[in-house]
Amino acid sequence: MFQWLDTEGAPLKHHIPGSTNYLPDLKIRGGSFDKGEPSTQPFPLNANFVSESILSEELRNEIHKRVVGQKKSIRAVSAELGVDMRRVAAVCRLVEMEKRWKQQGKPLALPYARAVHEMVPTTPLQDSRHQRQTPHESINDLPAHRLTNAQIFYPVSESRQFTRIEAGRVFSAAPARDHRIVTEEAANPSEAMSRITQNPSRIETVGKGAKEQPVLQPADVRIPHPHLVVHERQRIANPNEFQLVRKAYDARLREEEEIERDRKLIAQERRERQLSRVQPESSRFEFRIKDVVVSKETTGSDGRGARAPGRRYGVPSYDRKKGQIKIPTQVVV
Amino acid sequence: MRNRATTPLSKAKIRQSWSKYNLYNLSRSRDPRTAQRTFFQQKWTAKSLSRNYHGEQVRESEWERMFSRRLRSVVPMDPYKLARDDGSGMAAGRGSGLEKFPEENPTPKRLLPASRNPNATPYTHMTFAPLERRLDVAIFRALFASSTRQARQFVVHGSVTVNGKKMRYPGYLLNPGDMFQVDTERVMFATGAPKDKFERREGRVERKKAEAKDAEAEGEEAAAEEAKENESEGETKEAEEETLDTRGTLKTLLDQAKSIMTSNKDVLPAKRKQEIRGFQKAIRRVMSKSPDSSILAANLETQFAEIMKVLKAKKIETKEAKGSKKETKDSQKTETAPTTPEAKGTETAATGENKPTEALNEAFRQAAQNPEEELDTSELTDEEFEVLRHALVQLRDNPIDSTKPYATPWRPRDYMSAFAFVPRYLEVNHNICAAVYLRHPVARPGSSEVPTPFGENIATAAFSWYLRRR
Repeated sequence: MFQWLDTEGAPLKHHIPGSTNYLPDLKIRGGSFDKGEPSTQPFPLNANFVSESILSEELRNEIHKRVVGQKKSIRAVSAELGVDMRRVAAVCRLVEMEKRWKQQGKPLALPYARAVHEMVPTTPLQDSRHQRQTPHESINDLPAHRLTNAQIFYPVSESRQFTRIEAGRVFSAAPARDHRIVTEEAANPSEAMSRITQNPSRIETVGKGAKEQPVLQPADVRIPHPHLVVHERQRIANPNEFQLVRKAYDARLREEEEIERDRKLIAQERRERQLSRVQPESSRFEFRIKDVVVSKETTGSDGRGARAPGRRYGVPSYDRKKGQIKIPTQVVV
Repeated sequence: MRNRATTPLSKAKIRQSWSKYNLYNLSRSRDPRTAQRTFFQQKWTAKSLSRNYHGEQVRESEWERMFSRRLRSVVPMDPYKLARDDGSGMAAGRGSGLEKFPEENPTPKRLLPASRNPNATPYTHMTFAPLERRLDVAIFRALFASSTRQARQFVVHGSVTVNGKKMRYPGYLLNPGDMFQVDTERVMFATGAPKDKFERREGRVERKKAEAKDAEAEGEEAAAEEAKENESEGETKEAEEETLDTRGTLKTLLDQAKSIMTSNKDVLPAKRKQEIRGFQKAIRRVMSKSPDSSILAANLETQFAEIMKVLKAKKIETKEAKGSKKETKDSQKTETAPTTPEAKGTETAATGENKPTEALNEAFRQAAQNPEEELDTSELTDEEFEVLRHALVQLRDNPIDSTKPYATPWRPRDYMSAFAFVPRYLEVNHNICAAVYLRHPVARPGSSEVPTPFGENIATAAFSWYLRRR
């Protein structure tokens, strides 16, 4: 081993600033090893895992600046810079925390952070304004829905307009729609889609009781940025009017944000209404009391629903049994 | 829990660890042979190999309960394609679009076997995805610990918080959006090079001195600081006797700074440390010439300006150029400073939005106004200026401190770079050693997010072992 470390493994001992330094993969080791391109494959046997780039310091600060300083929405910043919305939110949280640390004079792990950023590929911030920022990751990831795992044989007549919406309905076993509605929607797909994204609670459901579930929606709705599809449609329709399309995009984004904010506010209010907080004096605890409804909907038809709260006669509690999780499952701030 | 996570050379096992033994085992790992072996045997081997890497600290029964046959995957969608096409074309023909003529479409890609198709989704690599949710594994993946075992120790010893609350369970399953944070000192210890025996001895001596000096025991660091200051005061007394040769001192300072900044790996750490110490001493000597006694505790910009003033140094440049240069002087906030001074220069130029510092302005104005000083002024080029500044920055950010449990100045431990990657389901801020678990890991066409050293055949065999249809 030590012989290997002194000969073949010697280049791995120290990092090369600005490039990765992984074990060369087996194919490269045998044949021509091109020194120009550093490999992004840390494990020689696994070609399906690549070391993906992390956000550079400047890009991180830029995200924070746009969200906190310029008060842009997370959705807009995500679409501008090609960074996932959840990541944008996390970056804001982390940078905010870093600032607080600096204010308090807590020591940061600067040499360590520098070394890590030298070892791992990073996505740089495009410094000139004319260049488009290279996207950090794909922002429109569509999660594979479990209903689509099944292969379904579904004969369709050739005259029928069978779109992604129809396919989703077939997967969730919803009845076919009236063809007048279909033609109406096909005439203005953008509006039909935004009707769904703006009112997610009004999505049609199938099944009864515990098996009730919403109809599987098409990819246009289920991706994180459905407004981009509408934007692309506009661009295709008006290929030469950049200004107009841009303006429409901004307006649409603003409208979507407002609707989303309202929806969140309403949901928050409803939650608050159901919850009453009691904090006795001279106590360090706050009691949050929620009204519990024991009905057929919550406990199931046989009264034994596992999700329903409270002790019910004849329903054993398995909390001491082997395999039950006995450590915290969440940390609420 | 006894640590069974050994890395024997005779029976090579790959572990979640950055040790050099593990690196060697990884380098000689090959796919296990399948010829002449029953399917059961192949699955058994695959399962034991992958379980040695994935969650060896988790009991088998515990893992079997965590296992899920439903593997998460995503498909990246292109909004342009979605806008162009409503999918009705796929309903034509026999259910997968109209067939193309053979010359248009020679071999459809999806007919290739998964092992040769680069766009196939590697589902079975996601077998151990539920384990990536564990707190100890996530800490290791965020590069905060050098092995999962160490990460587990950090959690148990109480230096990890989740959402700001101390979490002592390594088996805590992170939820999307959870922020976990490890004590920076622990992280620096875990990822830094270890001390050699001389450094350990130095630390011991320092600690003893501090104890003797402060009976009240105000804290080792304070004492160490004081000891250092006393030392430098002694030097300054000697130095005050002779007059300061500004030009000579500046030259030596520059040389020292340059030798510090060169990232030559051949220089021994001890030699390097000597150089840094020398530089530090020289800086202190220069600063002791300054009339302002509070300068040692002042911030970096002031210190730098003071040094420049004392040494009567300035840059060769016209006023406008100087102005632009001053703008590039950013304050302490430049975290990602590469080792080479040239790169540093370009980087500071890139973030040229900070205001010119007052102290520096003042120093330059004084230098410009006094004609007799002007004669004495040594002129520095841009590069030299940058080198000196950067050396000073490094001295402050990465100081020599023998009370620390790792070798100082901090440097990454050997062979760390071969294991350094951050998976996409985490967003890590290494400055504060905090990370957010964004979402569960997913597979996408061509790649999976679960870091696993094994190839497709081991992953598939292990997955089918846990399907329990043996």
